[in-house]
Amino acid sequence: MSANTQQSKSCPIPTRVLHLKDWSQLPDCYSQTPGGTLFSTTPGGTRIIYDRKFLLDCRNSPIARTPPCCLPQIPGVTIPSHHPMSKLQELKEELEEEKDLAAEDNQFEMDI
Amino acid sequence: MNQFEHLQEEDSGDHEEMKDSSESDGGSINNNNNNIRRKMVTPDAGEHPLQYNYTFWYSRRTPSRPANTQSYEQNIRQMGTVASVEQFWKFYSHLVRPGDLTGHSDFHLFKEGIKPMWEDEANKNGGKWIIRLRKGLASRFWENIILAMLGEQFMVGEEICGVVVSIRFQEDILSIWNKTANDQVTTSRIRDTLRRVLNLPPNTIMEYKTHNDSLKDNSSFRNTKITL
Repeated sequence: MSANTQQSKSCPIPTRVLHLKDWSQLPDCYSQTPGGTLFSTTPGGTRIIYDRKFLLDCRNSPIARTPPCCLPQIPGVTIPSHHPMSKLQELKEELEEEKDLAAEDNQFEMDI
Repeated sequence: MNQFEHLQEEDSGDHEEMKDSSESDGGSINNNNNNIRRKMVTPDAGEHPLQYNYTFWYSRRTPSRPANTQSYEQNIRQMGTVASVEQFWKFYSHLVRPGDLTGHSDFHLFKEGIKPMWEDEANKNGGKWIIRLRKGLASRFWENIILAMLGEQFMVGEEICGVVVSIRFQEDILSIWNKTANDQVTTSRIRDTLRRVLNLPPNTIMEYKTHNDSLKDNSSFRNTKITL
């Protein structure tokens, strides 16, 4: 494809080996999926892994916003799409998102 | 046009609407009858598939009425099954948040085919971690535990069965069910993942109870094994 291809040097995947004498020495991150990957290969097969942020981002896609077809009507539990409650839910969630975003923004305020 | 003709027109309109939407959408038809007459739920084109399909359930009980297996099975109903991230949000966005549920109510989100009951094949040898929450926290914690489960953050193979949020009088309870109660590697890993994904303070008490024990004392949340 490109005329000039470069060969990149290979380097081993960085790993860290820990010897533990006790369960309490397990670092907090041992059960974490590295980098919160979208798709990940685990020993013995491929698993579909999504991190929280990715899942939350999918919420705003147009597909996700259309109402489900066969949701049973249980008053106080399920919200039909035309119900005023569903608007209220959306506003509540938007408000919480804004709160989260506002918290992040504050870190970047500068006094000039 | 007399009033009956008017009604007839309205009626046929409704039927058409239902027919169209059930064919185009990826959800499943559910009624209160939990003996499953399901059609295959799959991700639609362009959607992000989940590792497993999951079914939403809802149950409610009047506390005064004593609980037994039969009444429990009748009080719990399926609400829908999802196979993709987008289908999940469709359903989830149309459910009231657990913090807004009234009375003695539970939401359950379980892998398709596993009933949220101790007696189900998948749960016979299993147990659950429970975390007690003071009022006001249930909605946020429920969302975070669901997202962790759907996103396969627990890394325990096939062990996870489902999660439950239980709204009670003075506290709310989050539970996560796994298949093999005596598999300590699995239960430890679930516990540690919970601490991380729910951001639990380090001294949070976590309790484990086998479903066998629950069957014996006919109680979900009493007589648990306490872990600090």
